[in-house]
Amino acid sequence: MKNRMRDLRAERGWTQEELGRAIGVSRQAVNALETEKHDPSLDLAYRLSTVFELPVEQIFTNPHA
Amino acid sequence: MSSLAAMDGPNRRYLTRTMAFMGGYVAVNVAAILGAFDEIIGEPAGAILGLAVAAPIAGQIWATLALMAESDEFVRTLTAKRFIVAAGLAMALFSGWGFMESYGNVAHAPGWVVYALFWGLYGLVTPLIRTSR
Repeated sequence: MKNRMRDLRAERGWTQEELGRAIGVSRQAVNALETEKHDPSLDLAYRLSTVFELPVEQIFTNPHA
Repeated sequence: MSSLAAMDGPNRRYLTRTMAFMGGYVAVNVAAILGAFDEIIGEPAGAILGLAVAAPIAGQIWATLALMAESDEFVRTLTAKRFIVAAGLAMALFSGWGFMESYGNVAHAPGWVVYALFWGLYGLVTPLIRTSR
């Protein structure tokens, strides 16, 4: 799923490892999300929304819109 | 930093459990090859020995399920996909070989081969299955 995660993470100066720790997943999972190899569950999408302080729609492109 | 220390908790525990279970599997088989159980081979007790060798295999499956339970959703999905593909291929190949034995008179393959075949295929499919979709 297309997303702005890499840019949002870079803006905050976080590593994949740090973001992973903040949302409770591995660095491998963060990398998979950023490279569109994994579509997050709703729970994980909301965790990302919380740490980035943005609505989910501003992190992920709605593929059904 | 050693590669073991660099692993996250679920992977480190999986590796430890795998080494423990496979250590038991190898130890019993090496002991059998070296003749430690020669008196019971072909006897009813030998069948119990066969089941004892299967116990670490069940343990290894539990270790894989534990890895999935302890990992995040991406690793869990990848592990499940790889496991299913490897198990499916192993069943297809081993069943195919069984029918070749029945209909084509090829050499007999003992049942324990399927376990090694499964993990060999798991290793082969792992670099090919990299997305959760």
